[in-house]
Amino acid sequence: MKKKYKYILLAILGGLIIISSLSFGSIFISPQDMISFINGSGELNELQIILSLRIPRLVMTLIVGASLAVSGVLFQAILKNPLADPFTIGVSSGASLGACFGIIFYMSDLFILLGAFVGSICASSFVYLISKLRRFGSSFLILSGIALGFIFWSTVLLLFALSPAQQVHKALLWLMGDLSIARYSMLWRAVPFSLFVVGLSCIYHRHLNIIAFGDEFAHTLGVTQRDIRNLFWIASILASVSVALAGIIGFVGLIIPHIVRVLFGSDHKRIIILSAISGAIFLSLCDTIGRSIASPYEIPIGVITGFFGGIFFLILMMNKGVSE
Amino acid sequence: MKIFNIESLYAGYDKTPVLKEITTSIKEGDFTGIIGSNGAGKSTFLKTLCCLLQPISGKIEFLGKPLFDYESSNLARQMAMVPQFVENILPFHVNKFVGTGRFPFQNFWDNESKEDKEIVHNSLVTTRTLHLKDRLLTELSGGELQLVCIARALAQSKKLILFDEPISNLDINHTIQIMDLLHELNSNGATILTVLHNINIASDYCSNIMALKNGTIFFEGIPDNCVTGDSISSLFNKDCSVKKNPVTGRPYIFPHPGFTKNLRSN
Repeated sequence: MKKKYKYILLAILGGLIIISSLSFGSIFISPQDMISFINGSGELNELQIILSLRIPRLVMTLIVGASLAVSGVLFQAILKNPLADPFTIGVSSGASLGACFGIIFYMSDLFILLGAFVGSICASSFVYLISKLRRFGSSFLILSGIALGFIFWSTVLLLFALSPAQQVHKALLWLMGDLSIARYSMLWRAVPFSLFVVGLSCIYHRHLNIIAFGDEFAHTLGVTQRDIRNLFWIASILASVSVALAGIIGFVGLIIPHIVRVLFGSDHKRIIILSAISGAIFLSLCDTIGRSIASPYEIPIGVITGFFGGIFFLILMMNKGVSE
Repeated sequence: MKIFNIESLYAGYDKTPVLKEITTSIKEGDFTGIIGSNGAGKSTFLKTLCCLLQPISGKIEFLGKPLFDYESSNLARQMAMVPQFVENILPFHVNKFVGTGRFPFQNFWDNESKEDKEIVHNSLVTTRTLHLKDRLLTELSGGELQLVCIARALAQSKKLILFDEPISNLDINHTIQIMDLLHELNSNGATILTVLHNINIASDYCSNIMALKNGTIFFEGIPDNCVTGDSISSLFNKDCSVKKNPVTGRPYIFPHPGFTKNLRSN
């Protein structure tokens, strides 16, 4: 298939998914109804649902999906490891500890969000500092991230063991990804910030192309340690922001970059932008499925991304093969 | 003019020197072959020259200025390196990969300029790899990949190129093709510094041989003078004879197989 058709297909798919994510949910609102809102007619309570619940949730899903996918692209390039993702260096476990702490001690949503953000930034700072002693070797980064992850996870489990069942349940739901806290008040800040950081990573697309071939190779072309550190922080911040907003949503950061590489090649200029778009679309598709498949109950988004994403990826891998 | 001027250099990994007391210089237009046994410090020497390793002590001057005073992008504009292996070969198109050689010349926002495209094209022509330009790196054979890596280095610098064992694992055909290419680049004004394991190839092609043993310079000079049976025998601790290559007239080394010891003593 030609690249042009792939782009067109992606655009059509994206449009369909965005419209259906506004339509489906606890009550179905057809696209015709939505058009009638624009004309000024239609039912007021449906308009209310779209404006105050579904649009902010859609925006948050898109921004979280895009951030996770781009963060995955960056980590896979700087760690030169196809199995790396935003959570390899311990971002998720740090965020989990911060958020679970907030949930267990009955704090408000804002503090849970802050707790997750601070936790994940602490995790990446720690990994950054200890790997700085070893000139940022990629296996050192990965291993220290994994070790740190175990320490944080054990602490989370300790918290669970000592807490009332109701709060543990709430914390578990957060760990599976929770998009229900989307409100305009926080999106107002989070969206421009994430877009700005994604934009920063686009500037580095030529660096990424070179770093992915190897550190020494990159160094002889004039890429400095500072460039690599900047990329590390861009990737960590993207991961932290999305984890703070939506909890732990695995899979997107790991698999979306691979899918994009299989379909569109290895040039990071394309990979970054297309991963952002595909990640956003993929996550809103999963969210729509999660909200409507067992309505009025919501299936946690982390469950849907893992389940359907995993199946889709296996099929793609069987058909096209995945580049190492 | 001296490209590199090196004085009592000590360098290595984690403060344990691999190179000891190296004092030498590389002049413009030299075609220097670095020979020596495995672990003698050949690759370490090359890595130190392109700033991948910090020296422990000693002085390296590049074009009259201390090497470590150069900004890394400025240095990358003046010398290119062809590593023994590319760490992580990705499914990149060949012309894109060769285009990465133009990276140090571009600003953050720049796309490939017309000049960049021209230089990439010319490098592909020089290395006779133009027909590969739309292939993926992962589809190339070892010999083709090495030629493409040289094209990439050429897109980066035509003045100074460092090679780490460019002909290891290649057949005779590709070996000669690549060495001829190096020779051609050298006659067009490039200074070439290459680690070689094949002494006879080094003797045939290089204008200058540097032999390393245990991290120090064992001997150095033009092949006609310094490639002798005695010098090579003691460099590798193996008996060798030397004859002249009938075609090039350069010294040619014949290492003695171990089983011939009894025959000779009879």
